[in-house]
Amino acid sequence: MFLQVLFRVLPSADLWQSTLQFAALLLLPALGGVISERSGVINIAMEGMMLTGAYAGVMTALATHSVIGGVIGAMIAGGLMALVHAIVSINFKADQVVSGIAINIAALGLTNYLLFIQTGGQGVPTLSDALRLPTLSWGPLANIPIIGQVLFQQNIIFYVAVLVLLGIQFLLFRTNIGLRIRAVGEHPQAADTAGINVRLLRYMCVISSGLLAGLAGAFLSLGIAGIFNSNMTAGAGFIALAAMVFGKYTPWGTAGACIIFGLGEALSVRLQDSGVSPNLLSTLPYLLTLVALVGLVGRTVAPAADGIPYEPGGAE
Amino acid sequence: MAVPTAPSSAPEQRSLALNLDMRMRKLGQSVGRPLFAVILAMIAGGIVIMITSPGSLIDRFNEAIAAYQALLTGAFGNPQNLSFTLTTVTPLILAGLSVAIAYRVGLFNIGAAGQLAVGAMTAGIIAFEVNTWPGWVLVPLMIIGAMLAGAVWGGIVGFLKAWRGAHEVVTTIMLNWTAFYFTDFLIDGPFKAPHSTNQTDSLPAQATLPHVAAFYNSTLGAFLPKIDQPDQYLVDVGIFFALAALIVFWFITARTTFGYEIRVIGQNSKAAKYAGIPIKRNIFITMAIAGAFSGLAGALQLMGQFPYQLIATTFSLQSTGFDAIGVALLGRGSALGVLLGALLFGGLRQGGTGMQLNANVPGDLVFIIQALVLFSIASEFLPAIQRSLPKGLKFARRPALVPATIGSTVVDLPDNSAAQNGAAASEIQDVDMFDSKTVPSSTTDESSIHRIEED
Repeated sequence: MFLQVLFRVLPSADLWQSTLQFAALLLLPALGGVISERSGVINIAMEGMMLTGAYAGVMTALATHSVIGGVIGAMIAGGLMALVHAIVSINFKADQVVSGIAINIAALGLTNYLLFIQTGGQGVPTLSDALRLPTLSWGPLANIPIIGQVLFQQNIIFYVAVLVLLGIQFLLFRTNIGLRIRAVGEHPQAADTAGINVRLLRYMCVISSGLLAGLAGAFLSLGIAGIFNSNMTAGAGFIALAAMVFGKYTPWGTAGACIIFGLGEALSVRLQDSGVSPNLLSTLPYLLTLVALVGLVGRTVAPAADGIPYEPGGAE
Repeated sequence: MAVPTAPSSAPEQRSLALNLDMRMRKLGQSVGRPLFAVILAMIAGGIVIMITSPGSLIDRFNEAIAAYQALLTGAFGNPQNLSFTLTTVTPLILAGLSVAIAYRVGLFNIGAAGQLAVGAMTAGIIAFEVNTWPGWVLVPLMIIGAMLAGAVWGGIVGFLKAWRGAHEVVTTIMLNWTAFYFTDFLIDGPFKAPHSTNQTDSLPAQATLPHVAAFYNSTLGAFLPKIDQPDQYLVDVGIFFALAALIVFWFITARTTFGYEIRVIGQNSKAAKYAGIPIKRNIFITMAIAGAFSGLAGALQLMGQFPYQLIATTFSLQSTGFDAIGVALLGRGSALGVLLGALLFGGLRQGGTGMQLNANVPGDLVFIIQALVLFSIASEFLPAIQRSLPKGLKFARRPALVPATIGSTVVDLPDNSAAQNGAAASEIQDVDMFDSKTVPSSTTDESSIHRIEED
């Protein structure tokens, strides 16, 4: 029964289309996490930054009557949350895990609070098509069977995510800045000695992760759902975290993990009539990541200075 | 700090005075910073209310005051509200202890939520499977089962940390969501109540815990005056389990060799290794105990409060697991502190409802306040402010604690038997566990060791 449904579902273009859609949604915050952690700042706050982005996206889109305004608002909101994380964990040397948790809690509280205040407890209406992120169709390419639907009829943010992936891979491993980011994450003292501004670089990286998470939030509210609901990220930021760890803090590995997890999400919706609980399928990303952590598929090791506040000159 | 080494003609007197001074300072430190954090968060929360409410500045200020009044009344204003607050305090104490004991050994237990879920689920499964057994067998069985399940869930984290080096923050988050979805699967699958979705049957009556007021009336009330209308006081006898757990926690951490050993591991794992303390085993056991505390929280929540049934998706929406981190941090990892932290966070949670009803300020403000408490307690505002002060205004800084303490500990600890060494024990205790320089974590540990060697 289960296999029957699985084999019926697997070849459908529909399944792979939504797999890639989920993957792109996870990829943006996960790549943000990669940058942040590579620079030595733990970021478990992708969930909160996404949620803030999703809310700010809808609200600014409604206020400015423009979807681009919405996307910009979402990214700014995500970036501001990241800025708080950066200030607290870089300047005030707070425990980065605690700060991340606080961001997640604050995002949930803030979005619910503002939603209640701004809409009088009514909630926001469903967005009109003009305020939603468009799905692009690549002319004749979109008409190729299966591949056309999977690759060339995606939301605009999907293509943005692919560009971001290529950009970050290039940035981290082919440019001077990338080398500096990795140096700061592995051995900040050495990087400082070499004349790199450790704190500035970390600020940049954390804020970029917020911008990307905010963009993902906009993708969720303005693109996929077309509405904002309370706590609508529902753990997506944590799956992104899992994807980052599963992908061993590399852009390509993270992208692969996002596709696997995206497939899981897409399947869990479609296998409901197969007798296998979607809830059971939803545990897979987390279990796979645990397996990766244990080292059965190659050990995951975080950057050496991940989570350690940098003090110039060592102990004061 | 160096009590034993103070040379003096009247060493006893001197050390007594020093001791008192040290104790006062410790008290100041351990009360001052959490208090500062809470006050700061409340002020910031008030500003949020003022920004978002209409009217003149005075109106806005009054609105904020009214909101906090409603919050306070809702939380502690009368016996009914207080008893309602205590129902949330029970799981918060236990989950807070779970985070606190893990922190002692230097691990961050973000997994309280997942451990709580598997605990509640296990208690529920036991009750449904053997629902004909009498209460005096069933209730202990459920509680023990829940604690064991939580211990397994926490033990996995300890095992992966100790033997595979997997970072506990990542593993606990993964295990949380595994637990959430797996319990959802069980609740909406094998244990689903007939003719319903997303929920199980209610527990059999003998598997539930009585409310404190009803329990009192049926026991002591036979000799003493009875409580009128016991139904209006919602707190159940689970609160006594939580109080007992506080004592157990205090005993484990302050009065046993094991408690001493995990503290040494948390402060400096190299010193612990040198002293022959079995690090891996202790990490595993500590995480198992942490899981057991959370598992107990889950069981008590299920057995003590309406609706006495498991409902899908509630565990992932419940904030107890994350509140517990705030509770443990506010309480600075001590039993009394956890109790006070749990009262504060439980009060906020219940007071938020009252605030929404009576002052028309969304109860979600409470989340913002909690987040601000976490921010300000985790941040080193004071040293940062101090750094920016002009030179003359800086007050004298005490030397960094870690090197001195660790140095003497290593020397004083030839083997395990020195674990009972009182002087060494008191020195270890004095290290401010929330000072970033001494935050017990295996990653920071490496660098602090490095620093000491340079010194």
